[in-house]
Amino acid sequence: MTSAGGELLVLALLLPVAGVLLAFLLGGRWAARITLLALALGLVLTGLLGVRLFASAAPLTYALGGWAPPLGILLRFDGLSLALLATAMVVLSAIALYARAEFAVPAGARETRASFVFWTLLLGVWAGLTVVVLASDLFTLYVALELLTFAAVPLVSLEGRADTLRAALRYLLYALAGSVLYLVGCALLFGAYGTLDIGLLAQRAQADPATLLACALMTAGLLAKTALFPLHIWLPPAHAGAPAAASALLSALVVKGSFFIVLRLWLEALPAVVTPAAAQVPAALGAVAIFFGSAVALRQARLKPMIAYSTVAQLGYLFIMLPLVLGATALGQSTATALAGGMLQLASHATAKAAMFMAAGLIYAGLGHDRVADLGGVARSLPLTVWAFALAGVALIGLPPSGGFLAKWLLVSAALATGQWWWVLALAGGGLLTAAYVARVLMVALSSAGPAPALRAPVARSRQWVVLGLALLSTLLGLLAWVPLAVVPLGAAGAR
Amino acid sequence: MSFGDVLLAASLGVPLALLTGCLWAPLRARMMSLLVLAPLPALLAALLAEPGAVLTFNLGLYQATLALDAPGAILLGVAALLWSAAGAYAATYQRDQPNGGRFAVCWLLAATGCLGVFVAADLPLLYLMLATMTCGAAGLVFQDESPPARRAAAVYLALALFGETLVLVAMVLLVNAQPDGSLLVRDAAAALPTAPGRDVIVALLLVGFGLKAGLVPLHVWMPLAHAAAPMPASAVLSGAVVKAGIIGLIRFLPVDPALAGWGEVLAMAGMFTALYAVAVGITQAHPKVVLAYSSVSQMGFTAAVIGAGLAAGDVGMPLAAAFYASHHILVKGAMFLLVGVLAASAVARLRGVLLWAALIAVGLGGLPFTGGAVAKLAVKDALGSGWAASVAYASAVGTTLLMLHFLRCAMASASTDPAARPPLGLLWPYWLTALAALLVPWALFLALGLGTVADLVAPKALWATTWPVALGAALAWALARWGERLPKLPAGDIAALIDPGVRVAAGAGLWLSRSDVWLRQWTIAAAALLTVTAVLALLLQGP
Repeated sequence: MTSAGGELLVLALLLPVAGVLLAFLLGGRWAARITLLALALGLVLTGLLGVRLFASAAPLTYALGGWAPPLGILLRFDGLSLALLATAMVVLSAIALYARAEFAVPAGARETRASFVFWTLLLGVWAGLTVVVLASDLFTLYVALELLTFAAVPLVSLEGRADTLRAALRYLLYALAGSVLYLVGCALLFGAYGTLDIGLLAQRAQADPATLLACALMTAGLLAKTALFPLHIWLPPAHAGAPAAASALLSALVVKGSFFIVLRLWLEALPAVVTPAAAQVPAALGAVAIFFGSAVALRQARLKPMIAYSTVAQLGYLFIMLPLVLGATALGQSTATALAGGMLQLASHATAKAAMFMAAGLIYAGLGHDRVADLGGVARSLPLTVWAFALAGVALIGLPPSGGFLAKWLLVSAALATGQWWWVLALAGGGLLTAAYVARVLMVALSSAGPAPALRAPVARSRQWVVLGLALLSTLLGLLAWVPLAVVPLGAAGAR
Repeated sequence: MSFGDVLLAASLGVPLALLTGCLWAPLRARMMSLLVLAPLPALLAALLAEPGAVLTFNLGLYQATLALDAPGAILLGVAALLWSAAGAYAATYQRDQPNGGRFAVCWLLAATGCLGVFVAADLPLLYLMLATMTCGAAGLVFQDESPPARRAAAVYLALALFGETLVLVAMVLLVNAQPDGSLLVRDAAAALPTAPGRDVIVALLLVGFGLKAGLVPLHVWMPLAHAAAPMPASAVLSGAVVKAGIIGLIRFLPVDPALAGWGEVLAMAGMFTALYAVAVGITQAHPKVVLAYSSVSQMGFTAAVIGAGLAAGDVGMPLAAAFYASHHILVKGAMFLLVGVLAASAVARLRGVLLWAALIAVGLGGLPFTGGAVAKLAVKDALGSGWAASVAYASAVGTTLLMLHFLRCAMASASTDPAARPPLGLLWPYWLTALAALLVPWALFLALGLGTVADLVAPKALWATTWPVALGAALAWALARWGERLPKLPAGDIAALIDPGVRVAAGAGLWLSRSDVWLRQWTIAAAALLTVTAVLALLLQGP
């Protein structure tokens, strides 16, 4: 069961965990350095995994302890895994570089709780996402889900203010409800089939009431954790209240973990059970999310809540991928277009949203506020940051050459090829509303009336360059992505 | 890579390089004086690159392709000439304005996109160029930040992005219609007549590119944007940027019997636009708004040429339409630059300037021996001899009337200081464009073999171009005399409907925000979670 290069998977899993343990051992003073070193190694490792996957053109696997499923746990790494892991590594590295100025403990200064907690939780999110991409059974995915949630919740309340604590609790409670639903679904499936292994379930699962109920429960639980409209009760206060680096982590990556599990569940574990008709539900909620989230974002008075609502909207695009993939399967077409489009949207949103949150964080750090109406002329005080914001906006709108554009192209193509033209309205129309809220900020920020606002605190150029770099990457993703597009379908749905 | 290929690559590469240079503050501060250089490689490429040159860049699964066909080369060269002259003009015109850096960035974005549209030969690259042009042009409209400028920029951005979205969907449909999924514009157009859902695709293309060219009722952004932008920006917006719609229609709609019916539709929409814009334009007093309506009218006429050519199956139409459009680039560019020159000087000091301006302005209506007469002759075959040819006479009368009305408005807007002299930095770009507006059409006409001098001086041809101009002049005299009695329409005519629309949208936004607060209560959110579970379970059961 273990493929050539499977040992690398264990290494990928151990790296963030070892980082957490080392940070505990050496203390907060070292946490930043340990994280950055681990991330550097992680980037190299992800590159190696990508090369191996390309070379073998089949999923990499590793059976823990040599035990094959259903007795043992199998780590499995396919094209979808690579898409999420590579995105996560790039975004995590950018966030870590950005956060160094905020959370690193300078020599001679006292170590603070927030700094130690931030770095270990960042490693925790990394570990959680690694388990998400490697797991090949639904229970390990449950563990990964909880790991992500418990790493994410304290990130919301890093500053310890009352409102952020309230937001964190809200997040925790709603996410726990989601976990319970997921776990009940797992129990139902295990009772019916005696296994939670994705490959075995795909062979055994039948559309009986217990399985259908299990699927509905697990999906609803995952949607609650992904904050798909109307289950976004917790997202705006949590993502808007956290420090910018944490918001970037939450908005760009954490919600993608639970979405990824939806993909595994629908497309790989239970493809015989789910139908294109049922997939219209999450996709329809996604379509509503696109318009609702964007419209509410347009009305926000402050930058960070606006970006948080933008996440509510952008998550909607991801779910439109489901009926497109299932529709293509039902018609005997290739699912590659829809899969690639969806995963590219995931990567594009992750990079753009992280860049946008961090840009907002720099504006906040510089001006001491992020009220949109009072940002007049900030482009003259922080030109690089406003460039980064604009470029991230281009990617969110889906203008070429951003990844968002190519993703939109592929999803529209899949929708038209499978005869589901109605999704084109949401896919194409959403960009206009996105343009509205991005342009609203830029029109104020680029204003030349009055003197340039004075900075309350100096904003390090290096941090601005990190944000600009990530935003540029997001804007150029449409050019870079033509090569990796071939990767996504590797070993994905149907290839088992 | 031949010399021509290098020029072709540089026509995009040089503006892009200057744009990248704007990241560096010291260079950004000097960029205004370099704007004149940015379009020069494109001009050279149009003149020197061999026709049919194709250049590809490999990016993994995707190949970026640049190509130069005859209609593209005409528009590229003439547009580059205007971009360069207007860039020089801008360096003087914007000298004392704040935010030169922002102006230069937006200018270069718009120039790159506009010139790129004429040479982009694959769909993603074409879309990239359209989007780049839109972003830059919206920034130029926004430049002076007054409330009308903000409104105009917002309207322009919204409509342009909407149009591009429609074009995107049409592009995807065209790619899906080909077995090998080719991304080349040429292949997409060839696949159109037999593509499934052909009528949907054509409708998407007509609305998408029609919006760029300003066909009624999608013209609302033009009077707003062209009036709000700084003078050199209005010149390139009205002259060059709107031609993206024309080249799009030319490139995507092949001359094929299957599209003859759609050609009729386009011809009717175009002719209606041509006459409607004249009717609204003569009620306007602001010279820039009058010019904007004249652009709407001329773009309508060009679209009608394309439509009539499609309907008649005239294979010479693409070249003729591009040639007609190229004449308009120079005339309209020169007229906008003239408005800026007039504002800086007293009328008495500008007799020569005004006389020449009158010549090329009325030339737009087809005055014999001007570039306009040449352009009209070139599109004669495409228009055929049916109703389109008859309406074309009415359009020529209307154009003459509108341009004479413009000249009167422009003279009224001249500086009241009798000693005011126009700066040389404004004067020479104007003269360059204005002279080119007469000479370039002649040169192109003869070089491309679109007709002969004998055709032009034939008594029948002279009469056909003279009487509409004479009638237009008579009507202009009547307008000057009794024009006061015409109703005063707001600039952008049906744009007046935008504000109530925005109010409705704002109300909807408020309602959505309130429902968001309601949805995010614990009881509602818990109920929503249960409902979603139940609905999923029910739908999974299947019918």
